[in-house]
Amino acid sequence: MIRLKSHMQLVLALLVALILPLCMQSGSLATEVLIYALAVLGCNLLLGFTGLLSFGQGIFFGLGSYTVGILLTRFALPMPLALVAAVLVGALAAAFVGWFAIRQRGTYFVMLTLAFAQMFYFLAYSLPDLTGGDNGLLDVPRPPLSVAGAELMSLASPWQFYTFVAVCFLIVFWLLLRITNSVFGRTLLAIRDNEARAAAVGYNVKMFKLAAFAISGAVTALAGAFLAMMTGIAPLSSIEYHTSEMILVMTVIGGTGNLFASVLGAAFYVLFADWLSTLWPRWLMLLGFLLIAVSLFMQKGLWGLGERLWLSTRRTPAVGDTTKEERA
Amino acid sequence: MTTHNGIAGTATPSSTTAQPLLQARGVIKRFGKFVALHGVDLQIYPRTVHSVIGPNGAGKTTLFHTLTGTLMASEGSIVFDGHDVTHEADHQRVQRGIARSFQVTSLFTNLSVRENLRLAAQGVHRSGAFDCWHPPSGARSHADIVDTSMQRMGLTRLAGVAAGALSHGQQRRLEVGMALAARPRAIFLDEPTSGMGVDDLDEMKHLIRGLRDDHTVVLIEHNMNIVMDISDTITVMQQGRVLVEGRPDVIRNDERVRAAYLGNMITGGRA
Repeated sequence: MIRLKSHMQLVLALLVALILPLCMQSGSLATEVLIYALAVLGCNLLLGFTGLLSFGQGIFFGLGSYTVGILLTRFALPMPLALVAAVLVGALAAAFVGWFAIRQRGTYFVMLTLAFAQMFYFLAYSLPDLTGGDNGLLDVPRPPLSVAGAELMSLASPWQFYTFVAVCFLIVFWLLLRITNSVFGRTLLAIRDNEARAAAVGYNVKMFKLAAFAISGAVTALAGAFLAMMTGIAPLSSIEYHTSEMILVMTVIGGTGNLFASVLGAAFYVLFADWLSTLWPRWLMLLGFLLIAVSLFMQKGLWGLGERLWLSTRRTPAVGDTTKEERA
Repeated sequence: MTTHNGIAGTATPSSTTAQPLLQARGVIKRFGKFVALHGVDLQIYPRTVHSVIGPNGAGKTTLFHTLTGTLMASEGSIVFDGHDVTHEADHQRVQRGIARSFQVTSLFTNLSVRENLRLAAQGVHRSGAFDCWHPPSGARSHADIVDTSMQRMGLTRLAGVAAGALSHGQQRRLEVGMALAARPRAIFLDEPTSGMGVDDLDEMKHLIRGLRDDHTVVLIEHNMNIVMDISDTITVMQQGRVLVEGRPDVIRNDERVRAAYLGNMITGGRA
């Protein structure tokens, strides 16, 4: 049953990647949806599957941007290699931050991730030679996708780049589905549910949290790298605390504990922000109301809302489902 | 403590000649200035039911926590199955064959009964737990152990129900089932019958006695009926110390025990 469900999620993600170009004018905006969807997937792995509220996701996002920016502007490294490097840097940074943060739980864990977010921000700010400081790293190129000198695909136009990002997004989505459904992923769920018991039945809780952190950092850094390539700039704002906050908000709006919910959350936030910001410069206030509504009435986010609507349209089969589960 | 070693010697039944499976020496546990355990010596022999009793605040649960690794002992040593486990964390001691249940029910409440037991069975196989690729199906589902545990605990028909939705008695049985699913050498049960209805008590008693065939059972229990009926050895604790240790009939007739704790409960045998 779980297998079927995860296939369904992959199909939904594929549909989103296919539908976005059909109903949107701007290739950049569509790409932005998928890029933030990646970052939110990373955050969801921590928040939804492991129960870790990390305010440090911007660190990994920003480091991804900088890594790709530096490697592509100064070293002319092949683009796929630069992306791999960004992923590795993200994983290592997350392992580093996680190594300290998971020593504490609850409020102190959150404070530690926040402290690291501030630290990395000022680190980036105070190293202008490397990061461009306040201005950010400018003129990040978007070289064509080539393997061993043979050009496979130009990424010059927004929709070409979208295609590349969409393929990467689907691969990552599939990998994360495998991970969350694996023995490892199910153990993360147990840790989220009851950490003390998880340790008492034999799991090294710290190692699991650390691994979740590293995976999350890797995915988030990939998102940051894509954004730098798309906009041609690795700005200081991408490592700012605000980025962490934005990723978290998208995660909560979409719903936690379900990977496709993250895609919903990112799409909703990015598209809503794009639309509202043309209507009203204070649109962030509306977002505040929305967050209050989500926190009060729909803690499972947009996905939970959709699930509820779906069930209410077919109430009788739903009841049948639960009894079947009890009997199993 | 050491003064009662004579009693302890005569107390262990058929297995007197065997090596103790668990040996704790001079275990001290401090919480800041408060001393919860004042140097406890304990020997637990394989395939026995060894009960720890005593009034509230005697340090029974703290002793359990230090033996299973939930808390670290401040001083003293704990040797399990020939390995010094004093400084090992709880998840490491599980790998040695120690499993426990909790006095206050501690389950994965959002997960199904089957998943709770599967997680307990998987916890012993630490390398497999990091498998990021395969779902827990086939051999990785530990179906045999899980099914056996469910059957033994009478939870089979509840396999798909979330642990949080079970009744109290069912949750208590799942607590014990999770300890069983780890297939431990020694199984530590902290008041398995706490809050249980009268109907369930007898069942639990038989169940625990049955465990002795395959495991070593260490038991904290307030119900004297159960303790006196199924224990091979009883350790009585008072104020963080071992007051006396021996066979049930020895304990029943020990003046100090009567004075300290049991009073008329021992003859009244009330739950």
